[in-house]
Amino acid sequence: MSAPDAASSDPRLLVAAAARGERRALARLVSVFEDSRTDAAARRREALAALDERGAAPRALCVGFTGTPGAGKSSLLGVVAKALVERDPTLSVAVVAVDPASVLSGGALLGDRTRVTFPAGERRLYFRSQSSERALGGLGRTTFHVCRVLERLFDVLFVETVGIGQSEIEVREFADRVYLVLQPLAGDQVQFMKAGIMEIPDAFVVNKCDEERAARRSLHALRASLSFARPGDDDRLPIFSTSAATGLGVDALVEDIARSRTSIAPRGLTAAARAHFERWVATGYGELGLRYLAGVPALEDVDAAELSFDREFRRWVCEPPPTELHR
Amino acid sequence: MAAHTLPKRDEPWIIRTYAGHTSAAASNRLYRDNLALGQRGLSIAFDLPTQCGYSSDHPLALPEIGKVGVPINSLDDLHVLFDEIPLTEMNTSLTINATSMWLLALVIALARERGDDESALTGTTQNDIIKEYLARGTFIFPPEASLRMIAEMYEYCLDAVPRWNPSNICSYHLQEAGATPVQEIAFALANALGLLDLLRERGNIPVAAFGRLVGRISFFVNAGIRFVEEMCKMRAFTRLWDELTAERYGVDDAKQRRFRYGVQVNSLGLTEAQPENNAWRILIEALGVTLSRDARCRALQLPAWNEALSLPRPWDQQWSLRLQQILAYETDLLEYPDLFEGSVVVESKVEELCAGAREELDRIVGLGGVRAAVESGYLKSALVRSMSDRVSAINRGDLVVVGVNRWTEALPSPLVGGSDGGVFRVDPAEAEETLRSLEATRARRDPSRVAASLANLEAAARSGESMMEPSIACALARVTTGEWADTLRRVFGEYRPVTGVDGQRLTLDDEHTRALRQRCDAFAAARGRRPRIVVGKPGLDGHSNGAEVIAVAARHCGMDVVYSGIRLTCEAIAHSAVEEDADIIGVSILSGSHVELIGQLADALAAEGASDIPVVVGGIIPREDVGALEARGVRAVFTPADFSLTEIVARVLDIVGA
Repeated sequence: MSAPDAASSDPRLLVAAAARGERRALARLVSVFEDSRTDAAARRREALAALDERGAAPRALCVGFTGTPGAGKSSLLGVVAKALVERDPTLSVAVVAVDPASVLSGGALLGDRTRVTFPAGERRLYFRSQSSERALGGLGRTTFHVCRVLERLFDVLFVETVGIGQSEIEVREFADRVYLVLQPLAGDQVQFMKAGIMEIPDAFVVNKCDEERAARRSLHALRASLSFARPGDDDRLPIFSTSAATGLGVDALVEDIARSRTSIAPRGLTAAARAHFERWVATGYGELGLRYLAGVPALEDVDAAELSFDREFRRWVCEPPPTELHR
Repeated sequence: MAAHTLPKRDEPWIIRTYAGHTSAAASNRLYRDNLALGQRGLSIAFDLPTQCGYSSDHPLALPEIGKVGVPINSLDDLHVLFDEIPLTEMNTSLTINATSMWLLALVIALARERGDDESALTGTTQNDIIKEYLARGTFIFPPEASLRMIAEMYEYCLDAVPRWNPSNICSYHLQEAGATPVQEIAFALANALGLLDLLRERGNIPVAAFGRLVGRISFFVNAGIRFVEEMCKMRAFTRLWDELTAERYGVDDAKQRRFRYGVQVNSLGLTEAQPENNAWRILIEALGVTLSRDARCRALQLPAWNEALSLPRPWDQQWSLRLQQILAYETDLLEYPDLFEGSVVVESKVEELCAGAREELDRIVGLGGVRAAVESGYLKSALVRSMSDRVSAINRGDLVVVGVNRWTEALPSPLVGGSDGGVFRVDPAEAEETLRSLEATRARRDPSRVAASLANLEAAARSGESMMEPSIACALARVTTGEWADTLRRVFGEYRPVTGVDGQRLTLDDEHTRALRQRCDAFAAARGRRPRIVVGKPGLDGHSNGAEVIAVAARHCGMDVVYSGIRLTCEAIAHSAVEEDADIIGVSILSGSHVELIGQLADALAAEGASDIPVVVGGIIPREDVGALEARGVRAVFTPADFSLTEIVARVLDIVGA
């Protein structure tokens, strides 16, 4: 009963049903892009071809939400996504929220939904939780793939990273705009200067500013540390003070995202394909795989590359040209 | 006078029973019956909509009307609830938290309309928001606003209603959530200090009156089955509170430093298996808080033997009431001074608890106090870890629970064999009566007076003025519970605290866990992803521990768990399951509304075209209801008798075909 029947897993049928607005089909389509089996790449190609035929090209502005644990990323994201669809009746928004997996069991507790309440029956919002599956860098193994399908079906695509704090560089690779969400600073500004994460974002959000005094204090502290971390850049970087609980400052942040939609041309995920593929190779084939990859030319079709890599790599490992391996 | 005699026999503690259900009229009949049986105070249970600030006709409220307590929509309901009950002669305890200010305003408004002396009101509003965030789940507003409301109630009551306890510091729910005795003491005292510090900072209480204010702080404590330790815990509480109030607040009057507390004995340890054994557990737990005169409770309420099965019937409550009466009036307990003074063993145990609690209290103060420790998730993680340890110990058999993991073979119990199966049911038809009376109130009242009093309330909330008098004016104008709470929601927002799914550690049987992980890995290899379960709590019942333990256990065994939290509509759960492409849905329901909620969930899944997603249910669910749930497509029902977490996960994996 729970085994998916043929109709429910045929990518073309799923695309057709998802385009009709069927949530179940959309969710299953996303599952096709999360599928870890080797033949999933073929189904992804089929789904993307079906989307191309329908003219569903990549269109979403991809927005990264990253930041320290406990900064209230999910709550804020929930409020922002809701506000975006409320202010523009034609806009659709998808959220992919990544949570860490247990190193021991491989299972994950995906808790971001507890912080987000979307209005019942609002079809222009879609929320998907994802496990990081032991990957480092703040995103999951399949986040890239899932975004490839959602960027063709929604206008704004949010990616919320794991929130481990200091190694969330990945989201920079494929988001058009990255917000770093912090909680009111506890005074130790030096920490921020050192952290590489300060170099990632296009804008900062100080969340949990339920109290004006704390908000002002944090703002000054952040400005001060930015002048060290990103000298020359610091005046240009917007800082938003928000409270997901009271709605304070949310309008300004929403306005910034809406403005970015018109001012930034979404680059689509093609630019990130190479980086994703390298990571995929590194996870599955290790250092040796990466060395082989160095000889592979520019990448157009990541699914085709994944399909052929396994075969090619094995052949290469079995009969390596002696110079290749020691390059 | 001999060392073993008192000048006169002590007065008994306030004997009462936590009660209320169905409707204001039905609860009024119940209270009058209980008083006729010799009960000496009232302890009022409110239904979840009232506790969460919804009127009965709100969609989230409908399945819950009158289920776990009485629904109160307006002052009209309170008139019915206290009909022919002498308000000012009665010590009345209201188990209400996020909407405490509203319920106190209603009680004061009732006194004013009846011509009773407001200053003679005696009783308690539970009003401990910290433990709601940590364990019980009926919070509404963020900490800042909630604590301000509590403070305003203390400031109002100190002179206007001097015999009212505006709040009870509750360690009760912390023990239910797994707290060890040391944690229970430390967390409760940290909570009390946080409140007193706040009141001192606000500066509205004159310095000269501060001792009187300290004297109004009272506690609500749990008593578990380790009754010797529990008795020592109460002595440790008494000693530490005396020290802290003297040192930190300079209170000179020993009476104002006295640790005043009421008790409900432990429900956590009551078992569904061989439920008749619970009668003995309740007796033993009652001894823990009554034996020692120096640390005896002020008020005691006992659960009923069948609480793990369902809400108690009137007869079940009478049986528990009789226990108290026998203990207080038949035995010689109240004829002696403290029995344990000078006991080397007791003194040593008390000192050990005090030392542990001081250390933990220092840690919390070091983290910035109780509020910071809640917001950072420190307290919740600590509780969840203790609970995981407890569950693990039961699973391993290290912690003996008779009838559960030892001596499980038993003769069939005649107590559950009656025509009602030994359980109490709320008649769903009575909810209609509540809805009709709410409608009648709305039709009768003066809309302009309602609008004006709500506008005043909102203005006070925004300006920082006290909301007490504006709330009383709202009560008199027949504002409804939902209208009062919605007005403040607009001003303060709604709060979502840290969930307990982080920081749990489980020790499950290794062999079983390994086997389950292999099944999940095999599923992932065959299907391209791990088995995925959506876990959530539909309805308003906020006891999240069961759902959280299951969520953590499922992850521990290798499943992907989408934890969607508490206070969800069934539509939201169905929607989550669809969006997340879940293989199975697990819901936890402890409010007694399982039949209605599962019906709603099945309808919601059908509306999403997702009736094929299997559903499993956990909670306090009478065996008689299992058929009705299965008829709506439920594939498995887990009750407190299913204590093995690996067994539960195994059955879930069976259902998803892993």
